[in-house]
Amino acid sequence: MEYMNKSILEIHEALKNKDVTVKELIEESLKKSHYIQDKYNAFVTILDEAKETEVTDNLLSGIPYGIKDNYSTKGILSTGSSNTLKDYVPFFTATAISNLEKAGAIATNKTAMDEFGMGGTGTTCHTGTVKNPWDSSRMCAGSSAGSACAVAAGVYPYATGSDTGDSIRKPAAYCGIVGYKPTYGMISRYGLFPFASSLDHCGVLARNVKDAAIVVDTMKGIDKNDMTSWDSKDIHLYASIDGNVKGKKLCYVKEICDIENYPNASDELKAHLENFKNKLENIKKLGIEIEEVSVDKKLLNAIASTYVVISCAEATSNMSNLTGIIFGPRGEGKNYIEMMKDYRTKGFSPLIKRRFVIGSYVLQAENKDRYFHNAGRARRLIVNKWNELFKNFDAVVLPVGSGPAKHLDGSENILDKNTSVLEEHLQIGNFGGFPSITIPDGFINNLPVALNITGKCYDDENVLNIAYAIESSMNYKNQIAKEDN
Amino acid sequence: MDKFTKEMVTDYADKLLIGLTEEETNMVLEEFDIIDKNIDLINEIPEIEQVEPMTHCLDNFIYELREDEIEESIGIDELLSNCDDSSNDEVRVPKVVE
Repeated sequence: MEYMNKSILEIHEALKNKDVTVKELIEESLKKSHYIQDKYNAFVTILDEAKETEVTDNLLSGIPYGIKDNYSTKGILSTGSSNTLKDYVPFFTATAISNLEKAGAIATNKTAMDEFGMGGTGTTCHTGTVKNPWDSSRMCAGSSAGSACAVAAGVYPYATGSDTGDSIRKPAAYCGIVGYKPTYGMISRYGLFPFASSLDHCGVLARNVKDAAIVVDTMKGIDKNDMTSWDSKDIHLYASIDGNVKGKKLCYVKEICDIENYPNASDELKAHLENFKNKLENIKKLGIEIEEVSVDKKLLNAIASTYVVISCAEATSNMSNLTGIIFGPRGEGKNYIEMMKDYRTKGFSPLIKRRFVIGSYVLQAENKDRYFHNAGRARRLIVNKWNELFKNFDAVVLPVGSGPAKHLDGSENILDKNTSVLEEHLQIGNFGGFPSITIPDGFINNLPVALNITGKCYDDENVLNIAYAIESSMNYKNQIAKEDN
Repeated sequence: MDKFTKEMVTDYADKLLIGLTEEETNMVLEEFDIIDKNIDLINEIPEIEQVEPMTHCLDNFIYELREDEIEESIGIDELLSNCDDSSNDEVRVPKVVE
């Protein structure tokens, strides 16, 4: 009997009924970790020495899970999938992970990711490419590639992720699972390796909406070590899910969803958008009203560059502490400047260097207004537009990406010259700190595709309840990836 | 003259204490052109210069000063455990003043 492919509630019930022991769950998760590592390369570290915890009334007690490798874990290698930190073992644990530990959750591995979260393909981890468990010739997307792969493959019911542009919600889509990032600051970022602080969110990848709610209920909370965290004690994500969505109002954006916007659309894109429109009809049957809205294309076209400029600028600043002097492998050189340059030159991958140089360029005094400040201005206009929509609608529902997982061949991690709004719109959730959840909504060529629901800040309970109702109206809950499906 | 040159890219990278290979420099150069064209998409937004740049997701942060509390500090051994070169509780570096 296998348990790691079940929901948190089912596993908890089995533990309470003594149908299975914590030891057996750990053994199953570790065995699957090694199997998945060999096939898909999803992990940086497998924690073979994972210790049992007591089974309590806490739903997460005694249940294995995975930690993205950019969360600091005391005494456990935490690399951010970068050669610059390939031997780094933190002396403290991230607050979100600490909260899971207190609940009795058991980490069985640290998952691979695009280096420091700065990629969307899962191909830039210092341990190599993470492959998609539905089809190993395809990518998982990123940056939470290993977490998405492992949850989809049934290594455990959930794993932590982080999301600066779409790093939880895109991999969830490509792997046929749920990816949820709550309102900015609901989960403390203390101990999460920073990428772009004004956009970084902690969150979770799971196989159903209720599981995602249970996990974030545990991870969240105000933290004196993160001044951007806020008190969410009156928010009860799991308890508030009742599936009652009659009279709720959603909208979708014509300029993103209409196939007419993509004259050279591939068959996969056509099928993806058609599937999305069909699902909207099903959603209406739940008693939810759905309207098409229009958003100025000039705003939508600005999303990609707004993200690139802000994220690269913030990353350049955040990563300045990576010198190899007080941690990280020491570089060689006659003086400390040469040593730092040697460490940074050898340690960072070409992709990261590229982002840093862009960040440096947009922050130069002579360039700042044209690039950095204008990106901040566009960010405000885009967020204002979405907040305007939230005055009339509970949430915005949109398809994720331009179809199922992309092929690994030719998946160069460079910015696409044809910046597709469809690929980039999830970044709006980071610009505004909005609660945002991706759930699977179908299959194209035997590969999963997904839709996303994004609502206004602090309205996480409503967003999750809508997601739960939509999930329940479809047949893609709790699915496990199998290449031979 | 091209707006972006290899010398510029090398200079920006140098300021960050990063060395680039020839291939990496060319990649950044190509990308600068794309970003420059894309930034024009932002500049097409009418009266963009009138907008106050947004620097953070949430506008309603409450900043509270808390009382000072004495907490246990992290031990020096732990702090230095990831340092490749230390001596007598201190990080060892080459001579800084020349």
